[in-house]
Amino acid sequence: MCYPIDSRGGPARKASTDPSGGERGVQAEDFHDSIRPGLIAMLPRLKRFADVLVGARDEGKGLLGRALQAMLAEQHRYQRGTALDVWAFGEIYRYWLQELRDHAEPMEQAKIDEARFGELFYPEVDGYFDSPIVTFLGHLPAQQRLTLLLVYGEGLDHEVAAHVLDVPPDTIAARLIRISGSLADRLSERPPAPAAAIVETLYPEGLRDSP
Amino acid sequence: MTELSDELLVAYVDGQLARKQLRAVERVLDQDDVLAARVDALKHAHSRLEAAFEAILAGEELDVSAASAPEQEGLVIEWRVVKMAMAAIGIVAAIALAVAGYGWPLSLPGSQTDGASSSTLAVSGWQEEVTRAQALLSRESLEVGLESQANPDFIAFQLSQILGADLKLPNLDPQGFRFMRAQVLRFADEPLTQILYLGAQGAPLALYAKKGKGSEALVEQQYGAIDTVTWSEDGVSYLLAGEVDEPLLMRIATKVKLEPVTPLRTAPKPQTPVNSGLD
Repeated sequence: MCYPIDSRGGPARKASTDPSGGERGVQAEDFHDSIRPGLIAMLPRLKRFADVLVGARDEGKGLLGRALQAMLAEQHRYQRGTALDVWAFGEIYRYWLQELRDHAEPMEQAKIDEARFGELFYPEVDGYFDSPIVTFLGHLPAQQRLTLLLVYGEGLDHEVAAHVLDVPPDTIAARLIRISGSLADRLSERPPAPAAAIVETLYPEGLRDSP
Repeated sequence: MTELSDELLVAYVDGQLARKQLRAVERVLDQDDVLAARVDALKHAHSRLEAAFEAILAGEELDVSAASAPEQEGLVIEWRVVKMAMAAIGIVAAIALAVAGYGWPLSLPGSQTDGASSSTLAVSGWQEEVTRAQALLSRESLEVGLESQANPDFIAFQLSQILGADLKLPNLDPQGFRFMRAQVLRFADEPLTQILYLGAQGAPLALYAKKGKGSEALVEQQYGAIDTVTWSEDGVSYLLAGEVDEPLLMRIATKVKLEPVTPLRTAPKPQTPVNSGLD
């Protein structure tokens, strides 16, 4: 589902002849030309990421706008060779975290409205609305929603998703195990598996309790 | 019953296992219906999650495309209209022949226009000119004199071969449009494929494809009653055209764009009148 993003497609600019500009100034110009078309090309994916993160279209649009401004203002932080989409997802997430921490009641801010979350799926476009899935996603914490989006929506592998969310890959795996198992149980109306059934593991025991 | 945890099964479903582990799990699944059912349940959950995220993306693309559609200026429109009118003459005549009963395959002469017009065609957007030709198609065009084309895979194979690139032949049944037929046209001496669908009512919906590069973004344009969406991917330019609501057309275009391309097949071609005609 990933669209090819050319993050190096911008027109080359001549190096500054002003000695006071320094090497860093030239790099910033180059980066500016590099990331802007790339960011524009993947706006729908970035908007989806922001929407799923905050749980509503308008708030997602606002967050994305602020995060894009920050990205362009601090474009020197983008390193060539890094996938632009991965970098941009990470920047949006970090921007959201920063805003959340600055808020007087961060826990309240992280809550989402179920009805507005349902609007993210554009049911008016062609009637698609998978109610059990929407409800399930709406009740997950933001980090877990993003984990699902990055792995099953964006097709990123666990390591890259972990990089975006700034957690160890094992945490991503642990989240997916718990969420996938729970969703599969819910959809098939099967009671959760007893702990005794777990006889084999790929992950350290300690991670099970801290996704 | 062999007991495997969800941890292992989720890793298996997500393709995160090493080859040796993968084979071991597959051996167990072959012999254990309960575990196989659990894997199916996990896959089912994942596929529904993917569909949900895809629905969000389709809506976002619709929003972004609508917001970024280029504004049309008067002078540009005038020139474009004149250009399209001139350039479309040849291909309109060709499609008229096609829909009048010549059907599949339609191999047009290399040049349908004089030299001056041909050079105009080569540098202008082929989607725009073809859109005008689309106005000649009606329900009757497809409902009479149809040649059987019941094998979509075979059709995709033929079209891909002619086009020289892997081509999408999307199934639009879920969107309410039934595949009717496909044919090959020619534009500026290059093959142009046309895939036709019919909904419960109204005019046909057409997906045109031509080898070429362009913007990957979905761009919506309206020409009279016909709405269009254009985009390019994998060296093929697409034009989706029909007299349907813009949101629905954009939704269909997004669906087509998101689905993987059908790889060029190498299966031997069955000997049919259709195939013989293509050769």
